[in-house]
Amino acid sequence: MSAIVRIANLNKHFDQIHVLKDISFEVAPAEVICIIGRSGSGKSTLLRCVNFLEQPEFGTVEVDGVQVVAGGKGRDHQQQIHALRLKTGMVFQSFNLFAHMTALQNVIEGPVTVKGMPKKEAIELGMHNLEKVGLAAKRDQFPSRLSGGQQQRVAIARALAMEPKVMLFDEPTSALDPELIGEVLAVMQKLVEEGMTMLTVTHEMGFARKFAHRILYMHDGRFIEQGSPEQLFNNPEDERTRAFLSHLLT
Amino acid sequence: MRNTADFPDATNQVRIIQELRRQKLLRFRLGVNTSYVVLMALLVLAFSGVEFTFFGIEFSTVSLDWDFIWERMPFIFGGVGLTILLSVLSIVLASVLALLGALGRLSKSPPAYALATFYISLIRGTPLLLQIYFFLLGLPQFGIVLTGLTAGVLALGLNYGAYMTEIMRAGIQSVGVGQREAALAIGMTQQQIMRRVVLPQAFRMVIPPIGNQFIAMLKDTSLIAITGFVWEILWRAQKVGRANFRNFEALLIAAVFYWIITILFSAVQSRLEAHMARGERTL
Ligand SMILES: Nc1ncnc2c1ncn2[C@@H]1O[C@H](COP(=O)(O)OP(=O)(O)OP(=O)(O)O)[C@@H](O)[C@H]1O
Ligand SMILES: [Mg+2]
Repeated sequence: MSAIVRIANLNKHFDQIHVLKDISFEVAPAEVICIIGRSGSGKSTLLRCVNFLEQPEFGTVEVDGVQVVAGGKGRDHQQQIHALRLKTGMVFQSFNLFAHMTALQNVIEGPVTVKGMPKKEAIELGMHNLEKVGLAAKRDQFPSRLSGGQQQRVAIARALAMEPKVMLFDEPTSALDPELIGEVLAVMQKLVEEGMTMLTVTHEMGFARKFAHRILYMHDGRFIEQGSPEQLFNNPEDERTRAFLSHLLT
Repeated sequence: MRNTADFPDATNQVRIIQELRRQKLLRFRLGVNTSYVVLMALLVLAFSGVEFTFFGIEFSTVSLDWDFIWERMPFIFGGVGLTILLSVLSIVLASVLALLGALGRLSKSPPAYALATFYISLIRGTPLLLQIYFFLLGLPQFGIVLTGLTAGVLALGLNYGAYMTEIMRAGIQSVGVGQREAALAIGMTQQQIMRRVVLPQAFRMVIPPIGNQFIAMLKDTSLIAITGFVWEILWRAQKVGRANFRNFEALLIAAVFYWIITILFSAVQSRLEAHMARGERTL
């Protein structure tokens, strides 16, 4: 089957630092990919380049037939980026729910404002997604009244309401108290089971081991090793991967 | 070694310290209130018109024309509405200009940035009184004759707007970058992000400081009195004061009115601020 995500020769600098060094990879539909690696290796930057929250200087990103070539200018380029963002949903480490909106308002904001969906229809869709993350009862709560785990689940519902083809998760559980991590992982598991294509940066090795189809190990702006969870966790080939994993286990 | 039973336990100690603090605070408040009473008594004495000897020194106090005060108070009070109206209209105009100014200052478009910077620099670089004269005395030369109210609102609005751009800018910038990124990620355009995500949150931030500006504005409306076209508090006070050679009494009445209005609006303002500080999302 042909890939739903194609990243080719992606390069990104912050000032002098070369953060992404000619990254290329493909993702098959319904594939779940976990990206692991040391802090500062460029995992977030990569994910943020996929929906152009960061502008790479060179390379191409293609998601479900929408291709954006880095470094473009003008209206067409902006429109392509917009189309790319509609194909992807993103979940942030710090949730980033709209603070002045209730849970439901957060979820319907995209459909109503971006897609121009009638409010009534959007509310139906929004409630459907809140139910999916188990928070229909919290529809009228403001984020400040929700726990971190609940906020993150609403954030997932908000992304899902745009009906993306690919979900990008950037350490979705890193800001959570340990006892709240499970509820977010459970929602992500549900998405895996529904066949969502997922690109996840995570330190939750349990989740990666159990649900990832492929693990990419990032080091200093490059993928230096990849493979199935068994391969990568049990028989890492590269010295640096081994060091990282043994560091995690201790 | 000392017997530990000699020491009260820790919670008890905390309670004692808290009680001491509370008493200290109460004593301070009592002292402040007593001082207010003494101050008021001295003020009343100062304006009582009484003459007396104290330790061999003769004191004479100011005697006020109370008949004048009672007679003219309603006339001066008649300006309160106009003062508040002037302030409300001006603060609305100022807020709109401040928002535009802030957007200009934050804009990537060179003309927008330049225009905003020019506006702020020009207004801040010239006196408010001159700006008022400009609208009332300057413009008629070109056949543009404004009513006193219009000119006053334009001048005050334009002036405060320039100073308030900083407030608006801080409000807009207080909205975290995460909010914008989340909005970008669901495909919102810059305009939609401004309108739906940034400004609604920024407005909540700027309401208390705009309240402060409004209170300052209440008093600056008195500058409009000089034009002689708007019958607000100070203009009325001057008029009756001059006519009766009772300027002191007239100004005193005006001062009391300004003071009361300011205290009232300050009370509203601090409740608003407390409400905001509690992190309530809805107004
Ligand atoms: N906005 C930015 N400006 C400048 N440098 C940045 C910026 N964002 C990231 N960097 C740098 O780019 C490098 C990669 O950062 P990135 O956030 O992608 O790492 P990461 O792998 O996600 O790390 P972590 O596990 O800590 O989240 C780091 O050296 C970081 O300091
Ligand atoms: Mg990161």
